[in-house]
Amino acid sequence: MTTPSLTSTRSRSSRARLRTALVPLAALSLFAAACGDDAEEETTATEAAGSDATTAPDATEAAGGDTTAAPAGDSTACGVGVTKVGVIYVGSKDDFGYNQAAYEAAQAMGEAAGVEVINAENVPETVEDAVPVMEDMISQGATVIFATSYGHFQPAVEIAAAHPDVCVVHQGQFESSLEAPLDNLGTYFSSVFEPVYLAGIAAGSVSETGTLGYVYAFPIPQTLENINAFALGAQSVNPDATVIAVATANWCDPAKQAQAAQTLLDQGADVLTQHQDCTKTVIEAAEAAGVYSVGYHYDASSLAPEGWLTGSEWAWTDLYTDIVETAVAGEFVSSPYNGDYRFGYRDVAAPFVAFKPSVFGPAVSAETQTAITAAYDAFFADADGDGVGDFSVFTGPLADRDGTVRIEDGVSPDYTALDGFFSEPWFVAGVEGSLG
Amino acid sequence: MIEAVLTGAVRGGTSIVFAGVGETIAERSGVTNLGTEGSMLCGALTAYAVGIETGSPWLGAIAGIAAGAILALLHAALVLWRGANQVATGLAITFLGIGATSLFGQDYVSQGVEPFTPWAIPGLSDIPLLGSVLFDHDPLTYLSFTIAPLAWWFLFRSATGLKIRAAGERPIVLSSMGIDHRPVRWLAVAIGGGLAGLGGAQLSTAFARTWSENMVAGRGFIAVALVIFAAWNPLLIVLGAYLFSGAVAFELELQARGTDVSIFLLDAIPYVVVLAVLALMSRRRTHAAPESLASVFDAAA
Amino acid sequence: MTVLRRIAERPSVRTLGSVVAALVVFAALLVAKGADPISGYRAMWDSITRDSGAFGDVVVRTSPYLLAALAVVVPARAGLFNIGGEGQLVIGAVTAFAAAEVLDQHAPRAITLVVMAIAAMLGGAAWAALAAALREWTGTNEIISTLLLNYLATLLLGWLVFGRWKDPTSTGFPRTRSLTDAERLPIIWGRVHVGVIVALVAAVVVWLVINRTAWGFKLGVLGGNVEAARRAGFRTGALATSALLAGGALAGLGGMLQSSGVEGQLRPGIMVGYGFTGILAAWMVRQHPLKAILSSFVLAAVAVGGNGLKIREGLSAASVNILMALMLLAVLGWGGARRSAASR
Repeated sequence: MTTPSLTSTRSRSSRARLRTALVPLAALSLFAAACGDDAEEETTATEAAGSDATTAPDATEAAGGDTTAAPAGDSTACGVGVTKVGVIYVGSKDDFGYNQAAYEAAQAMGEAAGVEVINAENVPETVEDAVPVMEDMISQGATVIFATSYGHFQPAVEIAAAHPDVCVVHQGQFESSLEAPLDNLGTYFSSVFEPVYLAGIAAGSVSETGTLGYVYAFPIPQTLENINAFALGAQSVNPDATVIAVATANWCDPAKQAQAAQTLLDQGADVLTQHQDCTKTVIEAAEAAGVYSVGYHYDASSLAPEGWLTGSEWAWTDLYTDIVETAVAGEFVSSPYNGDYRFGYRDVAAPFVAFKPSVFGPAVSAETQTAITAAYDAFFADADGDGVGDFSVFTGPLADRDGTVRIEDGVSPDYTALDGFFSEPWFVAGVEGSLG
Repeated sequence: MIEAVLTGAVRGGTSIVFAGVGETIAERSGVTNLGTEGSMLCGALTAYAVGIETGSPWLGAIAGIAAGAILALLHAALVLWRGANQVATGLAITFLGIGATSLFGQDYVSQGVEPFTPWAIPGLSDIPLLGSVLFDHDPLTYLSFTIAPLAWWFLFRSATGLKIRAAGERPIVLSSMGIDHRPVRWLAVAIGGGLAGLGGAQLSTAFARTWSENMVAGRGFIAVALVIFAAWNPLLIVLGAYLFSGAVAFELELQARGTDVSIFLLDAIPYVVVLAVLALMSRRRTHAAPESLASVFDAAA
Repeated sequence: MTVLRRIAERPSVRTLGSVVAALVVFAALLVAKGADPISGYRAMWDSITRDSGAFGDVVVRTSPYLLAALAVVVPARAGLFNIGGEGQLVIGAVTAFAAAEVLDQHAPRAITLVVMAIAAMLGGAAWAALAAALREWTGTNEIISTLLLNYLATLLLGWLVFGRWKDPTSTGFPRTRSLTDAERLPIIWGRVHVGVIVALVAAVVVWLVINRTAWGFKLGVLGGNVEAARRAGFRTGALATSALLAGGALAGLGGMLQSSGVEGQLRPGIMVGYGFTGILAAWMVRQHPLKAILSSFVLAAVAVGGNGLKIREGLSAASVNILMALMLLAVLGWGGARRSAASR
């Protein structure tokens, strides 16, 4: 892995930027001030840095494909003519997981888009830490910033507000949660639960005990979708399969993972999978115990030559590249990336997806592989020709394990809406373990 | 459930047993070392790195002991030679350990190491309950079973142990016998750091089988807390370490059984248990403290 | 060297020497890692001086360090060691947010902020009071109890953010609602908020109280010699407790300044190690509240400089912990008058 050595062309316009930053900031505080006393509506006020709200012209809204109220003399949209892209990660680029997947995709994006990539690993999820790191990248000339962890959202919003000429994209959160969306900000994520569902089929097929173990970090929608999809996939081939889920309350605490894996093995689980940022410990614990493992985030099949089944891994390169090329062309503001971009297999016409199933291990029979391939193809089948695949993992009626219907009959939430169904945590029948 | 919790207690507690026994020896000589956390980190990384470079986890463990001891010797130098405050120095040593392992550990994150593998003891490991709790572990865990009795014998039955305890209680007695108490303390602190390093090695090369930044995650601090809990008795450290990680196992077991209590509250159980037991026992325990330690705990300024 | 040492009799010069020594040793470690120390320091320098905003970053970061340092300074005066700054910061942020919830945006900004600050100080003091109570009633050593309470504070924050305070729109990863304008500290310049001035004032107040009030004098007596304090008729238990509570209140205030001035909402993990760094800041200047301003600033600069190592050199930013630790170790071992034999 090379790290960029930078004798950087430092931006001299930061003072000007600070001043221009006040415009959207103040506009935002106007929104905040207008927010009134209703407690129901107090959820927003993304940025209240500017204390003096009254002097601001309303500058944030611009028509459709048009441009923002950008500083005079500057280019009119964020990121135009990008030569440097900054990417921040919450963990290590070698974690065999979330951050390694993002890191490697970012480097490949740099090659593909012909830009220099400035990386920063282990960036804590605070404004105090992440804002200076991104400011530093911008001062080195980065005009597109990728903030790749949930907790980087608030810092990313601040950066976007302060730098209208920089495109800021965040991996995981929703821009629509903001009172006032920004023209140079967007979020993206991908419905990785679809390959998790496929991996569930593999797990359900090979398991002899019918008990599958899931080590997860926090009860958040992405995780709950994965655990439920895994269970539904397993139950599609083995209706009696159960998933036991335990949480570590940490994205990467290897010793806690080891202890959690042991708990699941003691419960009779003969397949272990996980939603952790660093994945080595759980996979090796499964391999050492002679049971099967399913990967997540990254291809870790090399860690478990015997027990590896398959997994879900991110394949961000095409998306990252497209975002950067969109910004280079000055089209960010009119693109879907300026908003909440969510996509998956069911977007049958999409040129790329951001994840893929991992390679099969030796324990997955040819028969099972065929079944999984068939399930995979089903995502893309679009008999009614509406551009949306007909099969969905989460199609109503779907009830939680206590019998309460969570997704009504006939409802099949799209990728953007799905997280909302899990903001209150729930598990489908057959998932045991903690809901946090 | 009992079996799972007990097994989890032993598996998760081993690294803390090593570190806690080590810290007991150091404190018996009159030196507190909050750098134990740092020594564990250095031991964890060094064992992992040497394990990768040589292919031998045993060489890794030995290197881990050395790394932990070296960091502790720095603590000894500051405290014993330069007269620095023990608590502040210990914390700085832990910062140093976190930073150094982050700097040098960067290239080793998640790299493949030849781990210690469990040796199930034929026959014994088939005994119901006890078999899995005691006789199906990695070699370092078996070693941890012996370390507390060994430390007890060392402290209370060997000549060096007597000197260590004298250094901790009444250095003046040693002086009257013409023995300088300081080399004894240096030795005790080094042993403490070495055992913490071994605990770290167990964490990275036997238990979690990986290296990641700051992976000790407070277990070294817990070890220091347990020394008071154990009234400076290495045998009781074992109990404390298993109590702490048994509480972790218990919490995970509750989760697996589908409790809907928040994971954050469940996660608090191990800390609350240690704090509660400490509070219940402190009054009695403080009397057991080596006398020289009193000056550490009472004079921060 | 001996000549140098003779010149450098003043503690301030010795402290400076300690910092330089730390820089040299850190450079050696960078060489050992295979990195170029010159470009490493250059990267750190570039990150601190990249533009005027970077100076603001350092100033902003000084505030939590300074209040965490003051949380060590006051108890240390009474001979107590507060390692719980981290947890007290968290609790301060939590109780400040709770106060904002109670006020429910019905009060004007000034009142809202004052109430939040008071709530934060009470919260931090209450968290410290747990340790003080354990010390008084059970004899539990405060070093250990404050340390363990840090973990519990962090978990409490997680519980609240994932539970009753979860913003319903935060579907990705839970966070609380954003603080409104009236609940945010006013900005002075760039990202620098009013809390920075509050922190500076707090340092001066602590200095005055310690040196100019009867209470401060009593703490000093207690810290110097418990027996003497007892003979003078001081209620030593209450004194020690009050010192710990005051420390907790200062850290709690720091938590409010951080959440209201910088983070703008609560999320798990919004206080990453500030409490521990504050301990280093306090000890680098031997618990002098005014000098702690300087040490906090220096450590903040080192932390921001760490971004340079990370971004420009691809090194782990946590490696600046080495530099912070070495500075303190040098000061502890060589920075001033040698410690009394009691601690040896």
